[in-house]
Amino acid sequence: MADIAVGTPLAAPLPRQRTLLVGTVFGTAASLMYFAALLAVYLRERSDALSDGGDWIPSSANVQLAPPTVAAWTMLMSVVTMQWAVYSIARDDRTHAIMATALTTLFGMSVVVTTSFQYTDMGLVADESIAATLIYVISGSHLAMIGIGLVFLLLMAFRALAGQYSSRQTDGFVAASIYWYAVVFVYVVIWTAIFVLK
Amino acid sequence: MTLTETRPETEAVAAGDDVRPATQSSAPQWTPPTGLAGILSTGDHQVIGRLYIVFSLLLSGLALTLGMLIGIEQADIDGGFGVFGQANELFQVFGLYRTTLILCGLVPLFLGLATAIVPRQLSASSVAFPRAAAAAFWTWLVGAIAHIAATFSYGGLGSLEAEAARGQSVELTVLSLGMIGVGLLVGAGVIFTTLVTQRPAGMDLLQMPSFSWSMLVATGVWLFSLPVLLANLVVSWVDMRGGDSLGFGGGDAPFEMVAWAFDAPQVYAWTIPLLGITAEVFTAAHRSSPKLFEPMAFIVGAFGLLSFGAWAQSFFDSADPLAQDAHVVTNEVVFTAFALAIALVVLAYGGWLAFNAYSAGERPQITPQFALVTLSGALLTAAVVAGVLRVAEPALGVLREADSDIWRGFFDAMDDLEGSSLVTGLMNFALLGALLAAVAGLFHWAPALLGRPLNAPLGFLAVLPLAGGAILVGATDALGGFFEQPARPYAAGNPPYGPGHFDEIDALGFVEALNVIGLIGYIAVLGGLALVALNVARSLGGAPMDEAEQGEGA
Repeated sequence: MADIAVGTPLAAPLPRQRTLLVGTVFGTAASLMYFAALLAVYLRERSDALSDGGDWIPSSANVQLAPPTVAAWTMLMSVVTMQWAVYSIARDDRTHAIMATALTTLFGMSVVVTTSFQYTDMGLVADESIAATLIYVISGSHLAMIGIGLVFLLLMAFRALAGQYSSRQTDGFVAASIYWYAVVFVYVVIWTAIFVLK
Repeated sequence: MTLTETRPETEAVAAGDDVRPATQSSAPQWTPPTGLAGILSTGDHQVIGRLYIVFSLLLSGLALTLGMLIGIEQADIDGGFGVFGQANELFQVFGLYRTTLILCGLVPLFLGLATAIVPRQLSASSVAFPRAAAAAFWTWLVGAIAHIAATFSYGGLGSLEAEAARGQSVELTVLSLGMIGVGLLVGAGVIFTTLVTQRPAGMDLLQMPSFSWSMLVATGVWLFSLPVLLANLVVSWVDMRGGDSLGFGGGDAPFEMVAWAFDAPQVYAWTIPLLGITAEVFTAAHRSSPKLFEPMAFIVGAFGLLSFGAWAQSFFDSADPLAQDAHVVTNEVVFTAFALAIALVVLAYGGWLAFNAYSAGERPQITPQFALVTLSGALLTAAVVAGVLRVAEPALGVLREADSDIWRGFFDAMDDLEGSSLVTGLMNFALLGALLAAVAGLFHWAPALLGRPLNAPLGFLAVLPLAGGAILVGATDALGGFFEQPARPYAAGNPPYGPGHFDEIDALGFVEALNVIGLIGYIAVLGGLALVALNVARSLGGAPMDEAEQGEGA
């Protein structure tokens, strides 16, 4: 019996199903559609307000460009660290992968802090105007998206610490990175549509 | 272990493995819970699928009861209110009929069928994320119950009284609808991921069975639609929370924000699996396999593409639709083009079915499911025809300008169909047709779903009221549109008003007679659904078939 077992060739490995990856792509696409819908409402209302000759953002508010620009650059830097994490795990460099994930998490938290600062600084009352309502809805939704991304990243980091991910299995990190890139992309669009165009 | 992983025992049980340890161990063994605890904690796709089906059938029945109440109200248009104390109550039930029929009945019914059947069709042990599927089901169910309870607690999607205080029940209605949307989105994600990743080696997407393909298209379209619905609801809810609503949360704005989901073209998106079920049942009745599968797959894909309707939001129409540069979505060229194109797609699908019937070379085996899919196809055709008639006025406007004398009567009949009950007829044709197809799927896959086939004579008995009732409901609404019956039997105002104040309706007596016939239609569909429920209960009470016979059913 033992001889037969030794002589039997190993079965060909089944192709990876990439379930987590496809599920994440689905969730990411849904998130992008959600923000597309919000921004469509925002741009439509803004266009109506401006064509009527009125102000869009109330003149009493002080919506500065600097904090969101800092946040946008922070998010863009997190793209580099996120890709660094994927690169490292694909080369079995777990230490660098976890370090890069921690940095990405830090960048994400910095954006949360920057946005919170801007909320207190800009003096925009949520139910004062349509613009204020929509700005809070869109940026608040993005904060929630960052929160989900941070949980996803931390989960992957802990799993990597436990040895679940390596060059043979990178799906978790790749899935987290796809979601994170969507987080960054959405922020860049928000930065352009809301804060640059104002 | 996370939500995205499969419970080891689920995979093992589904694969038919014996999960008991080979040797007796002194370590405590985990035994799966049974009874209610077993149902609440299950990750078995079959059980989740059955739960979806049972609850969505119940909620479809509730939706049809609401439709019946509206029908009673409309049966006496000039007599004032009979069922509802005031216009606002009618408005609440009007919205609840739509949300319940679509998001608590039809879509979860298709998801339930898919959760139970798709893994079998792909020879997979389970769905991609069994725990996420369970979470999606419970989220949807809790959301559905909260939504209905909130609406009946004087909630609803807003209020016709602009100055009315925005009660907590309206907020809860909006939030619970969001919860329903999240549940359905996660459920759709599970099915989509299953279809993409759980296929056996060598089976590409175009080799999947028709129902699986249609679910892939449907979940893809729902992926792009449901987040938009959620965004609309979030904007409404946040605006509602403020001291003074600014246009998204006050008055009937919450309903207007989501009204696109109950109108063409989006209403077709909820019916996409109808095409897959029809293809499977139709070819099975002809004892053949689908021929020219790729063209059919393309047709279903085109139908899905053209049914995406989140862009057609009437909420963003210009305040003055008669202004020179007014934007009214239903007058736009794209809207007209979509309505015409989807009719052509349905025509092409009918051609594909006819080709398969012809090439099978023998008469079909008449079963309840065959009768149901044939009639559901007819209802979908009626829906797209109503859609074409709806856009006929702008589409034929060019001809009228060229020669105002030609077909004068025809053009006059086409006037003002937008906003008439023709639009309601379109919706009812499509949704009730899809409901018929879902019931047909239930009959077709009963051995795999329930362990026993459904009773055929009882099935035939259900076909008549189901199909006949659906035709009556849709046809009377559609016909009423030609006599200026409005799509919405209420209007905002101070005070808001309902039936009894629509003096622009032509031939009032005839329209009322039509509405009585429509009411009979609702009662018939409800009766048919009760017969289906009886059939399912009877089947569940009998001895199950063996595994091999169940497999043949899938």
